[in-house]
Amino acid sequence: MRVRRGEQNSASQKTSTFPKRKRSQRREPSQKKNQPTPSLTEFVGRVGELRLRYAKLDGRTVIAHSYFTTPWKLLPPIYLDDTGAAYTLLINPSGGLVGGDGLSIDMTLDRDAHVLVSAPSANRVYRSEEKLSEQLITITVGPHAILEWLPEHTIPFAGSRFRQVIHANLAPGAAIILWDALASGRMARGERWAFTHLENEIHITTATGASLVEHYILDPATDLGRVGLAEEWDYVASLYVVSDAVSPEIWANLESKVAEILGKLPGQVLGGVSTPAIPGLAIKLLARTAPDLTHLFELLWAAAREALWNLPPVSLRKY
Amino acid sequence: MNTPSLLEGLRFVDTFFPSGGYAFSAGLEAAVQGGAVKNADQFARYIEDLLRGGMSRRDALAAKIANAAGSTGKVSATLEIDRRLDATKLSRESRMASRQMGRQVIRVAADQIKAKPVLREYLDEVESNRAPGHLAVTLGLTLGACGWSAEDTAAAFLYQTAVGFVSAAMRLSPIGQHEGQCILGEWLPVIERISREVDSDAEMSSWSPIQDIYSMRHGSLEWRLFRS
Repeated sequence: MRVRRGEQNSASQKTSTFPKRKRSQRREPSQKKNQPTPSLTEFVGRVGELRLRYAKLDGRTVIAHSYFTTPWKLLPPIYLDDTGAAYTLLINPSGGLVGGDGLSIDMTLDRDAHVLVSAPSANRVYRSEEKLSEQLITITVGPHAILEWLPEHTIPFAGSRFRQVIHANLAPGAAIILWDALASGRMARGERWAFTHLENEIHITTATGASLVEHYILDPATDLGRVGLAEEWDYVASLYVVSDAVSPEIWANLESKVAEILGKLPGQVLGGVSTPAIPGLAIKLLARTAPDLTHLFELLWAAAREALWNLPPVSLRKY
Repeated sequence: MNTPSLLEGLRFVDTFFPSGGYAFSAGLEAAVQGGAVKNADQFARYIEDLLRGGMSRRDALAAKIANAAGSTGKVSATLEIDRRLDATKLSRESRMASRQMGRQVIRVAADQIKAKPVLREYLDEVESNRAPGHLAVTLGLTLGACGWSAEDTAAAFLYQTAVGFVSAAMRLSPIGQHEGQCILGEWLPVIERISREVDSDAEMSSWSPIQDIYSMRHGSLEWRLFRS
């Protein structure tokens, strides 16, 4: 990795990878005036774009438009059942993110489309002395469309610096199930909560403009950025189920069902469910092992699909 | 800060103020019943962790931003931070508790501090449901209008919150008044540091997954002393 003169190994001086982003997407100043402008070749293989637009055609959801650059790869959608829902695996064959990598996903679902998204393996973030590894995801879910966003968890290696931003905008009648999970590190190596910086923002906005926001910044070397009591756990996850087309009775029944599921592994999983400021449910959980996390996720996901759309569970066929 | 400003603001921070805060525990009750808080040491760590990770860059930040509006009379940034705070409070009970207490503050402040029209203006926003009226925001606005600094305002908000937790803990667990005062004293340096270090220009963020989960779980407790 190239280190610029004068830059220091400090979480407060992280630099962003994305060469051109809107001001609203920037959280920190990118470069000082006297620093050289990076050449475009510096971004080849490091700044990967994936753009997907899905449409409903003859009863099936298809990819109407796609564009991707290295390291993203795209395979045709898989149809897991007879509902016509398209299943896309987010494939990044490079194995993970190193400092300076900036991956973006811009996904649009047209009216009535139904899409499931996952990844073949965990999202690994490697150690970086200076630069952030970033993943920016922008999702637009059209009228009465459904997105089930179910990626594998993120594993931040010791010394890594990671920033993820997920913005999802929902049209009237749209629905989203959004899963996001974080591991403490490479536990098999005894590496837990040893990253340098980790920032995660999930922002779901409904058609009324009302939002749900989860945003945390962990920089364990600072007083206010410590992991704290959560250090005794190894996985932290959130599941958001949002739609303005679901009746309060269905939400109430699903909330009860979710609370019951969250109580299935006392001592191994600690979870809670509540209603956020927009129509839907917010579920948070902590787990001690990956199998427990996966087991609870599958139960929660199945409960949400059944409650909202009367659909049975499907196998994501990754293994 | 001069003495009239101090006194004007103090009554909004005082436990005598009728915010209804005694009815809420922000999930502490669920944590006690769930076994996460069994003694004074665990209680002290649990709340300190919440103040530092969960409330510093979120609620204390909001109080600081609202404080500026209270002194300048411009509410636009306050509206934005109030809505953002609402969006980040994922537990229904804690969100509604914060809104209820906040509305009490802005109602009394607008009614009694007439020299500061910004308070009436913000009350109108709250009453017409254009603003959620969270406690950190309305207290920040009020103390700003009273002439308190942003740092003192954040400290006052956190102190008031900490006192509320000690009060709740004394009803939920075998923690006596003397022990409660000792714990409160231990938190003072933390509160001072947070109030000083939180940067009003930073984006709002929060990390307290354990406390968030217990706050969410409170609604399904079989028996409850508190409303959150």
